[in-house]
Amino acid sequence: MNEEQRLAGELKERTYRLFGRSLHIRTFDSGSCAVCESEIRLLSSPYYDLHRLGFFFTPAPRHADLLLVSGPGVRAADTALLKTLEAIPEPRIVLAVGACALGGVFAEDELVHGRVDEVVPVDVYVPGCPPSPLALLHGLLVAVGRLEEKVEVLRFDLREEATA
Amino acid sequence: MLWFLRGIRRGVVTTRYPRARDSWAEQLPTPPAFRVDLLTPELAARLADVCASGALRLQNGDLLLDLGSCTGCGDCVAVGGEAVVPSGEFELASRDRAALVKRIPIGERR
Repeated sequence: MNEEQRLAGELKERTYRLFGRSLHIRTFDSGSCAVCESEIRLLSSPYYDLHRLGFFFTPAPRHADLLLVSGPGVRAADTALLKTLEAIPEPRIVLAVGACALGGVFAEDELVHGRVDEVVPVDVYVPGCPPSPLALLHGLLVAVGRLEEKVEVLRFDLREEATA
Repeated sequence: MLWFLRGIRRGVVTTRYPRARDSWAEQLPTPPAFRVDLLTPELAARLADVCASGALRLQNGDLLLDLGSCTGCGDCVAVGGEAVVPSGEFELASRDRAALVKRIPIGERR
């Protein structure tokens, strides 16, 4: 068990080292309203300048390391999504982006899954409707291990002294 | 305004995130935070009712806030008065979906 954990830790570190240099992102829209896409596109604007952090967008899943999935998981897009995922070489990361992808907006029915992790395994969840480019940057940096997750320590129940 | 002067004065326009947060980041639509001492069971029921995305629900006398489902629409802030304020937190990415569900106790219990 201990040996396994050590090996897993080592593998994780090596993967992060690989991802730390330059990382190519393939986006996938599983029926989103295109606002998530608009925020994703803003990442390559001069203001957010994704390239300074070593991230790049690629149209080819075979060149990608990371899959960014938005939308509630429309069933009609299942085949395309699974093919895209399979075409991305290992090791790969999947990010679910936006409240739809996390199960917030659409309930499961015959048209949509309602959440993306019903279709593909998701590594990092990025909340927001839409997630701001800053939130997306945080999600990307968490995914490659360059930033720590914060949500565990954040408090949403304030006491009187906290606000005073 | 002379935009090029502004550009010269400020130098680089690119955000410094993740080294520093932008000053406007706290104005982003973000999930709510709750003043627990002002939260009553009636208000909590009303909040759970008004939440369009089902991010707020009642469970065992507590309010559950699902940050993943929250769309930051602000309906709960409008209904809640002083008890509900925007949290201003956008760095919510998580590897664990369950970590995004926060339990909010109703009323002060010491």
